[in-house]
Amino acid sequence: MASLKRADFPLPDLSDERTTEFFAGAARGELVIPKCDSCGAFCWYPEERCLKCDGDAFTWTAVDGHGRLYSWAVVRRAFLPAFEEMVPFVTGLVALDADPTVRIVSYVVDCDPDALAADQPLDVVFRDLRFPTVPDRAVPVPMFVPA
Amino acid sequence: MSDWGHATELDDISGQVAIAGIGETEYTKASGRTAREIGVEAAERAIADAGLEPTDIDGLSWNGAFADFDADAFHEHFGTSHDLWTSRWGGGMTWAGTAPHLAAQAIADGKARHVLNVFPVAWATQRGSMTGGPGETHAAQPLKQNLEVPFGWFPQPVYFATIMRRHMLEFGTTEEQFGAIAVACRRNANHNPTAVMHEKKMTLDDYLASPLLADPLRMFDSCLISDGGAAYITTSLERARDLAQPPAVVAGVGEGNAESGGHWSQQQEFTSTPQVFSAPPAFKMAGLAPGDVDVLTVYDPFTVVSMMQIEDMGFCEKGAAGEFVEGDTLHHDGELAFNTHGGLLSHAYVLGIAHVVEVVKQIRGTAPAQVPGCEVGVYGGYTGGMASTLILTEDR
Repeated sequence: MASLKRADFPLPDLSDERTTEFFAGAARGELVIPKCDSCGAFCWYPEERCLKCDGDAFTWTAVDGHGRLYSWAVVRRAFLPAFEEMVPFVTGLVALDADPTVRIVSYVVDCDPDALAADQPLDVVFRDLRFPTVPDRAVPVPMFVPA
Repeated sequence: MSDWGHATELDDISGQVAIAGIGETEYTKASGRTAREIGVEAAERAIADAGLEPTDIDGLSWNGAFADFDADAFHEHFGTSHDLWTSRWGGGMTWAGTAPHLAAQAIADGKARHVLNVFPVAWATQRGSMTGGPGETHAAQPLKQNLEVPFGWFPQPVYFATIMRRHMLEFGTTEEQFGAIAVACRRNANHNPTAVMHEKKMTLDDYLASPLLADPLRMFDSCLISDGGAAYITTSLERARDLAQPPAVVAGVGEGNAESGGHWSQQQEFTSTPQVFSAPPAFKMAGLAPGDVDVLTVYDPFTVVSMMQIEDMGFCEKGAAGEFVEGDTLHHDGELAFNTHGGLLSHAYVLGIAHVVEVVKQIRGTAPAQVPGCEVGVYGGYTGGMASTLILTEDR
């Protein structure tokens, strides 16, 4: 069980092997998703075995970063101290055009929250994620903007 | 599309066992008590209710992820040391619905005669020291900690706000319809003196005026945070007939599972629950249909979880629950008496164990908001990636 005591929580734990490649991709400006070497399916979240064919080898593969807004919440209450200066913010699920069964959880930014619509096209952008509770640290992550 | 989950294969135990004893503690805001203290008190009251002695209890189930109450706590409290058949796959949530099935197997195998299932919680007392409150166990999971929490998709109110919005987008469900569920639960709690919200009335206007925590989800869509616990005793139907209370017969049990587990974000049927897989085999085992149900209680951490389970258990078509729940349908004196004790929203957040106890009371005819002539009561358990269905009937 990963520790909530780490000093950089709630930034992602870059030492966690299962998601290292995801954040390394974001640092290069690429959205990368594990693809099963056996059946070719995108497997998200990164699990140890492919849910479709039980394969256990994956290649992290860049996708084009276009998707559609599947659903979202406009968070108004800061549930963690780290979010206090951010609220209200939009977080939601983006179904990727490359495979709509893959839903990326992220922020929708540069948008009017009241103007968002179901299944509207979005594009990935890479931004530094920072929290005031974690000074001097930033992690580049994929976020989404209206296309 | 039905390949997103599956039913657990369960042996048919219809009519073999019954719930013969129930026990509850007070349900409160922060009490300063430990879950262990609450657990043993609930256990003691269930044993007394059944007319048994602690030494008669030879089977014990609890939830291993909440190890506050276990066999050691039982023996320490009662000063006993006898052998117990035990299972860590009982307690509350989805397992409050399947623990009688585990007990039935232990009883059939001759491993136990009287099986006590206990679930206590002291989250109201513990809340101040938890990261994100009840979200803490979620935040501790590595994939959520790295792929959800950093993106603000945390804790449970945010997950369920997202599910709620999709339900609204797909089916046209309105905020007033979600509000109807909250108002029904509150009115039922107003009839139940043990409910935390017993004294507080709520109208639909009050619901609509309650703050948006994560738009579209409001404070009044959300469960309470409580201290409290309950317990029940399962024994053979034959034995139950000799005990102090009228038996609540276990007529059907089901369990459903989503392949995406607790990762709601990736569940392909996003606005459904694994009740889709759980309820049909439970009704089949019982030889009953949703139309036969006099009282329905479902695990209701948020109104949308009730909305989805009402659909997925077959009380209306998928997507039609919004219209179905309008008005007073779900009130204790409505068309489908629902969470008649007040549910997690207005009774107490004790994670489903009190829902099962409420169904037993309804079958006995002793519930505060009693449904006249209640013969069939159902509990819908839910724990994200899993759901359970427990059908109890009067002894006929």
